[in-house]
Amino acid sequence: MTVDKDAETAQLQRVWDNPKGWRALSDVNNSVIGLWYIATAFAFMLFGGVLALIIRVQLFVPDNTLISAELYNQTFTLHGTVMMFLFAVPIFEAVAILILPGMLGARDLPFPRLSAFGYWCYLIGGVFVCGSIFFNAAPDAGWFMYPPLSTEQSGIGADIWLLGLSFIEVASIAAAVELIVGVLKCRAPGMHINLTPLYGWYVLVVGAMILFAFPPLIAGDILFEMERLLGWPFFDVTRGGDPILWQHLFWIFGHPEVYIIFLPAIALLAMIVPTFAQRPITGYSWIVLSALGTGFLSFGLWVHHMFTTGLPSISLGFFSAASEAVAIPTGIQIFAFIATVMLGSVVRSVPMLFCLGALAVFIIGGLTGVMVAVAPFDFQVHDTYFIVAHLHYTLIGGMLFPVMAGICYYYPLIMGKPLSRKLGIWSFWLMFIGFNTAFLPMHLTGMLGMPRRVFTYGADRGWTELNMLSSVGAFVFAAGFLLLAWDCLRPKKREPQVKRNVWNAGTLEWAARYGDTWGMRSIPEVNSRYPLWDDPDFMRKIDAGEGLLADAQEGRRETLVTSTLDARPVQVLRVGGPDWLPMIAAIGLGAVFIFMTFKLWLLTAAGGVLFLVAVLRWLWVGTAEIPEKDSKHIGQGIVLPLYVSGTRSTGWWAMFITMTGDLTAFLALLFGYFFFWTIHPNFPPVGIEGPGWFWPLVAGLLMGLSWGSTLAARFVNGSGKPATARLLLVLGMLTAILGGLALMAGPWTTGLDPTSHAYPAIVWALVVWIVAHLATGVLMQGYCFARSLYKKMTPTYDADLWNVTLFWHFVGFCGVLCALVIGAFPLLT
Amino acid sequence: MRGNRAHNEIERETGSGTDLWSVIIAPGIWAVHFLVCYVAAAIFCEKFGRDADLGGIRLTVIGATLIALLGIGWSTIRLWRVRGRSLTDDDFEYEHNTPEERHRFLSHVALMLCVLSAVAVLYVTIPMLYLTTCR
Amino acid sequence: MLHPAGEDAAAVANLFWVMAAGTVVIWLIIMGITVYAVLGKRRPKTERFADRFILVGGVAFPTITLAALLIFGLALLPDWVRAEPPDLRIHVTAEQYWWRVAYEGPGGESIQSANEIHLPVDSTVEFVLTSTDVIHSFWIPSLGGKMDVIPGRINLWRLRPTDEGIFRGVCAEFCGPSHALMAFPVVVHSADNFAAWREGEAASGIAQGNEAFIATGCGACHTVRGTAASGQVGPDLTHFASRRTMGAGTMPISAENLARWLIDPDHLKPDVRMPGYETLSEDDRAALVSYLMALK
Repeated sequence: MTVDKDAETAQLQRVWDNPKGWRALSDVNNSVIGLWYIATAFAFMLFGGVLALIIRVQLFVPDNTLISAELYNQTFTLHGTVMMFLFAVPIFEAVAILILPGMLGARDLPFPRLSAFGYWCYLIGGVFVCGSIFFNAAPDAGWFMYPPLSTEQSGIGADIWLLGLSFIEVASIAAAVELIVGVLKCRAPGMHINLTPLYGWYVLVVGAMILFAFPPLIAGDILFEMERLLGWPFFDVTRGGDPILWQHLFWIFGHPEVYIIFLPAIALLAMIVPTFAQRPITGYSWIVLSALGTGFLSFGLWVHHMFTTGLPSISLGFFSAASEAVAIPTGIQIFAFIATVMLGSVVRSVPMLFCLGALAVFIIGGLTGVMVAVAPFDFQVHDTYFIVAHLHYTLIGGMLFPVMAGICYYYPLIMGKPLSRKLGIWSFWLMFIGFNTAFLPMHLTGMLGMPRRVFTYGADRGWTELNMLSSVGAFVFAAGFLLLAWDCLRPKKREPQVKRNVWNAGTLEWAARYGDTWGMRSIPEVNSRYPLWDDPDFMRKIDAGEGLLADAQEGRRETLVTSTLDARPVQVLRVGGPDWLPMIAAIGLGAVFIFMTFKLWLLTAAGGVLFLVAVLRWLWVGTAEIPEKDSKHIGQGIVLPLYVSGTRSTGWWAMFITMTGDLTAFLALLFGYFFFWTIHPNFPPVGIEGPGWFWPLVAGLLMGLSWGSTLAARFVNGSGKPATARLLLVLGMLTAILGGLALMAGPWTTGLDPTSHAYPAIVWALVVWIVAHLATGVLMQGYCFARSLYKKMTPTYDADLWNVTLFWHFVGFCGVLCALVIGAFPLLT
Repeated sequence: MRGNRAHNEIERETGSGTDLWSVIIAPGIWAVHFLVCYVAAAIFCEKFGRDADLGGIRLTVIGATLIALLGIGWSTIRLWRVRGRSLTDDDFEYEHNTPEERHRFLSHVALMLCVLSAVAVLYVTIPMLYLTTCR
Repeated sequence: MLHPAGEDAAAVANLFWVMAAGTVVIWLIIMGITVYAVLGKRRPKTERFADRFILVGGVAFPTITLAALLIFGLALLPDWVRAEPPDLRIHVTAEQYWWRVAYEGPGGESIQSANEIHLPVDSTVEFVLTSTDVIHSFWIPSLGGKMDVIPGRINLWRLRPTDEGIFRGVCAEFCGPSHALMAFPVVVHSADNFAAWREGEAASGIAQGNEAFIATGCGACHTVRGTAASGQVGPDLTHFASRRTMGAGTMPISAENLARWLIDPDHLKPDVRMPGYETLSEDDRAALVSYLMALK
């Protein structure tokens, strides 16, 4: 028996072993990708920090001529961009990819190759955006890139910003899909939704928020780039556009984004505080409520960034109200943490120190947030240093300090070595004092009338001393951060390895042994929120392999899929192992975005082909594989299928989630259409004819037909007639192609020129969006056709067709909606 | 999404209607209410000019508020019943390892979200009580 | 804005002090509880206490406080239609990086000026704001809040100065390299002085000594009313020397600064639209400077 166990462990080890040498780059395991992700995020953060220090040096004295206005503008634009897009959001994805599977008792995330793809997108895009400043070509219109300054007067920097970030947004959405499915479907058996670690709840909420927040920005980016590259005048007032549309689309993304950054960081506190209070969290359901409530309310705040754009007072009133309301759930979670501390007995430690610091700083940011939510007060302080102070208090108190706490807390788990307590305490106090010295005075600087984004100021303004203080504080802050970075990076060969579960925590991730990439020896049955506290025998049982799925008999990486609410085991999911394709796909996609920036169309196309080939091969070889047997024993007499399709499969959910985001982007484009209708007295404008009703009608019918044939193909295939299903798929492809042509025929035959006015431009934008989706849909139908032909998809094993049908539900809906809007709406007005 | 067929007995005690979708009903109502108010007012003010009187829109907003509160109220009553049936002691922790407990937990969260959403709906209505025109 | 000289600024300053005091008190209370929770010896033991604590601190208190703040704060939102028509209307057009200003005269005529705004005290002034290029924001901190100036849109903004004096207005929305150098002095006069000033501003400029000005081609961009110079691209210079600053708040007006400006304006104000005239002879430059300095 013992020999057996050893052999099994060796097998498990072999299967989950990380590739060595240069092949290490092909790794996809969450414990490796997560670490790369975190390291990259902090590297970008250091870069952004250096930019911040340059800003502070420039403002140290009045009338400083250290750097030119042009360089200063690039510096602050890149500082904001890097910190928001390359640090704050990715660090959430990074930490979640690293620790979430362990917390849920999963071996890996459901789509490890997708994580790897996301990581490479992020790395390539990030280096591209950051590198631009060394060529004096960085974006220079502020991190929210307001047109017309950014569309009409910026150089290539604006394109770099747009395309680079669009590319990184792809990574964020990939991570969101991965993490949502992870939380919903990959929890250990018995981990009912009410026993899920709070971190999982937060990840779920944030993942969902990403799906509704990022797509409007992607839609905005598309419009923006169409204006820059092709001259379609969405934001050009001389041709019927309006710069305010960009502000809406940007802030519909931008405000939820603040909470996308804040919630996962607070989630770390929700894991750390109970450990050091040595008791379960109090008010678990309160915290879940507040995470959900914040997630919703955060979508009703975007106009508070636009209070001074001259919108009607009544609009300001609505958004003022929602901005105040969001403070309620935020307050609830803070009080729940304090209550936990109150009821427990606190173990003093460095992570706890950072938690308390976070609380002190964040509450100030929250309270000034309540102040600026009052519109008349915002009229005064908007775009001043008061806002700069406010946003840094919320982001550093609400994100950086909690993340630092998380780093100190999880470092021993991930790296196996302790951090120095002494250095940690020093680092905390340097950062805390430095931060407050730098940013507390800025409230006053703003109140004294200093606008943000000024590269210089006169000595007679009375801002000199305050700015000097801020600059000094910034350097102290940086010193504190570097101290901690040094502590993390310094070689620790001599130090002893920390013991398992060093902080005596209660949650599942601490059951892992250092160095086990597969997480746990066996997947345990969980029946409490803090299994390590409630069952003293827990770790022994895992190590002895008494849990489920104790080894890797068939030599495949496997993890358990469970039901959404009650976590009953439903499937053994085979996840991908080391693979170069995600990286190659990311390089291909990166080439598309990068070469497009420089208008090198041939290379762009080559990148596109590389991307397409890599993705198709990845799908063809590595997904929906027909297993060698239907089901397998996972221990304790449980037999689970190895292949499921339809709503029970993780792939179906991934498609559903992705397409929800995609639908949001389409709705954002439709919002653009109706926005233009709102601001123009005549829409379509006098003298421009719409696309007519005939071609959109034909297109709608054809698209509906294609949608129907795909669905029919699924039914027919399921009832055992794959040949008929193939025929239906071909019909679907034909009708989709004709539908796309018919859709374009509308604006084409009536001669709508997209460069002439915003109306034709937005009609064409909608049409192009749908046609691109139809093309993807045709590709997918063809893919299923080929799969069926090569017997990789059969009446029983039909996950591909289920997922493609789901895609077509969304595309069919959007296509018909698009035809209705461009064809029928002009008849109504 | 739902499914605890193995626990029919427990289902009879507490019902099993509360899943993740029904948790977000109340905040969903808030979101729809918010959008209706904002979009109606924004279009009205853009089309009828800044000096237009808000009269019609005010009725729309107040009507929307009443409907939203009714919806949230209906949801609250439904959830309150679950609470009444299942909350026999002062246990707010919902730490047990059963589908029943999970159901009670989600109902409790949903109930509190109803309260939060109602507050948010009322907040959003406040500005309407002051302002008379699109200015 | 902490030394308000206008009605709106004063109301907001009051609001600020109330909110700031509340902020400090709330912060001290929460942090006090937290520190006590960490260090305190006597600990409540029941979940019920925790639940009540969260209910009172996290739900009841903020709901009531925030509702009060909302009601109090929104009362300050502009609701101008009920208000009377303004006493004075000023059209301000923001351009990179300066301000075109046109006063509506007593008879409805338009008086062109630039980069300096004069206001009568205790009168309601309506600013009609628009932009010709990118988004700017019009802000006089001492008098009240700001309003964005957006191409293609006309935004209205009202202020009511209550104190006489000289204040400073700025562009508050990032608008390009010289965003930091796009300011304007604001002079609040008594009603009589304002009327006198406006009369003077409406008068024509002098033509005497403008040979160099015309010969150099300055008139292609700048206007000096009553002379051949009638360009509309740059700021109106009719009463240039009576203003307090040049280059839209970049520096005080003096012969010396003016000479430097003529040689290389881009050095003093990055990305400025005016070309440099470094090839100008010493004599011509001196003639230009003395003419401009005479435009009182």
